[in-house]
Amino acid sequence: MKLETFAYLPAMSAEQLGEQIRSILSRRLVVGIEFAVSPDPYDHYWTMWKLPLFGVEDPVAVLAELDACRVANQGAYIKINGYDPVRQGQVVSFVASRPDRGA
Amino acid sequence: MFEAGVREYREIYWTPGYQPRETEVLAAFRLIPQPEVAPEEAAAAVAAESSTATWTTVWTDRLTTLERYQARAYRIEPVPGRDGQYLVYIAYPLELFEEGSVTSMMASITGNVFGFKAIRALRLEDLRIPVALVKTFQGPPAGIQVERDRLNKYGRPLLGATLKPKLGLSARNYGRACLELLRGGLDFTKDDENITSQPFMRWGDRFQFVMEAVRKAEQETGERKGHYLNVTAPDCEQMLERAEFASELGSPIIMHDYLVGGLAAHTTLSRWCRRNGMLLHVHRALHAVVDRQKDHGIHFRVLAKWLRLAGGDHLHTGTVVGKLEGERETTLGVVDLLREDFVPANRARGIYFDQEWASLPGVMPAASGGIHVWHMPALVEIFGDDSVLQFGGGSAGHPQGSRAGATANRVALEACVQARNEGRDLTAEGPAILKRAAGSSPELAAALETWREIRFDFEAVDTPDVIPT
Repeated sequence: MKLETFAYLPAMSAEQLGEQIRSILSRRLVVGIEFAVSPDPYDHYWTMWKLPLFGVEDPVAVLAELDACRVANQGAYIKINGYDPVRQGQVVSFVASRPDRGA
Repeated sequence: MFEAGVREYREIYWTPGYQPRETEVLAAFRLIPQPEVAPEEAAAAVAAESSTATWTTVWTDRLTTLERYQARAYRIEPVPGRDGQYLVYIAYPLELFEEGSVTSMMASITGNVFGFKAIRALRLEDLRIPVALVKTFQGPPAGIQVERDRLNKYGRPLLGATLKPKLGLSARNYGRACLELLRGGLDFTKDDENITSQPFMRWGDRFQFVMEAVRKAEQETGERKGHYLNVTAPDCEQMLERAEFASELGSPIIMHDYLVGGLAAHTTLSRWCRRNGMLLHVHRALHAVVDRQKDHGIHFRVLAKWLRLAGGDHLHTGTVVGKLEGERETTLGVVDLLREDFVPANRARGIYFDQEWASLPGVMPAASGGIHVWHMPALVEIFGDDSVLQFGGGSAGHPQGSRAGATANRVALEACVQARNEGRDLTAEGPAILKRAAGSSPELAAALETWREIRFDFEAVDTPDVIPT
């Protein structure tokens, strides 16, 4: 299983993840977290972890939500999305946590 | 009373200082008159012959109001650094054009004037298409955002490869070549433009084997995959038949050669794609015949604008790096015209007019031709996320084969995107970023070794002419 953007790189450290989240926030995108137990390439709708994190500006807060999602959903794949309200679409998405790769 | 005779074109069609209306189509031509012809007369001739006039007055002129339909040459300026060449601006009334018709615009503006004896050479550099006309076109079947949403691919350029050898593989082996590239990490594979339906591989056989490969690669990787199935055909009926079969097989994308197939056939296909939820990859065979020489022809930025109107989701542009022509500033100008909703005039990029697209969906530029892993930092920097980077030889030429070649490109791409997002400078740090990524990817390490010294440093032929400031 590869699962799209950054799937071909080694798992990111918390610090590297923080850098990617910082880049999403610096582009004024809204961060959202979604998870799925068995990802399917034809499934557009993973389960939302809470509402998108409107107004959140600190990558640490996003990492804390990622951890909370991981604890509550053992064995799930979790992705971080960046939504652009101007373009009215998602412009960033990558799997930040997967059961088979640690991190 | 009707007065027969011949009048100079400039008496009617040269109107210096004319303020064009918002609804008019504006053209910028590069013009070289014959030595004995004044630039004003040559410019007026272009305006006249591409709108209402012929060489002599005719009695039927008196049955209409020509001022309503005539084009007007309204500005002439010498081309910097090029003696005897002029930039000529012409305004065409909206009434001259049929709604939703690129063919109407092509026939009107590039009709007989390009063969006019009084003119040595003529090149259509740019065309301002007014919003009133833009809104009569469908545009791209899906557009950039819908394509990303359908395929679930975000935050990076897409990766493709043209299958090689271009010709001569059986359908089954072709499907194998496709599978290896897709499972290695590419998003798309592509028919080369000269693959249609030859005796060695009929289109129906190719479609079936290739779609088996696409499905298998999706199951293995958990990612959406696609192959640009070329439906360019001898006639429109067969083109649509091939498109329909691709749809039945579940292909997300097909391909058409828009200049070879023609703009009418292309528009038919683009509208079919919109109705059927199909993405449309557009190839541009023939373009360099028309657009490469600076003195004569039609600049590619105009051909690209016509394609955005007629509709396509990907279009090949220059690559800046690699083996094919594509000067940097000119290419960036074309990329903006394909993707942005408003593009301001920018002479350094060869853009003569502001262009508003009025929410017409955007087209992804496709970069291809002699590119390999070492080019990745530059490509990510030049093209940004909303593009397709195509590594044909740069994937299948890998010493361990297509699958490893595809993986090398995907690792290189993701390493560059990650570094860019971290705020690092891809131009300065590109090679270091690639080498570090190769530490955990033997595929990338081998690719970097194989293509270490391969460069294509030739002077560009098609460059913008601007006064250096």
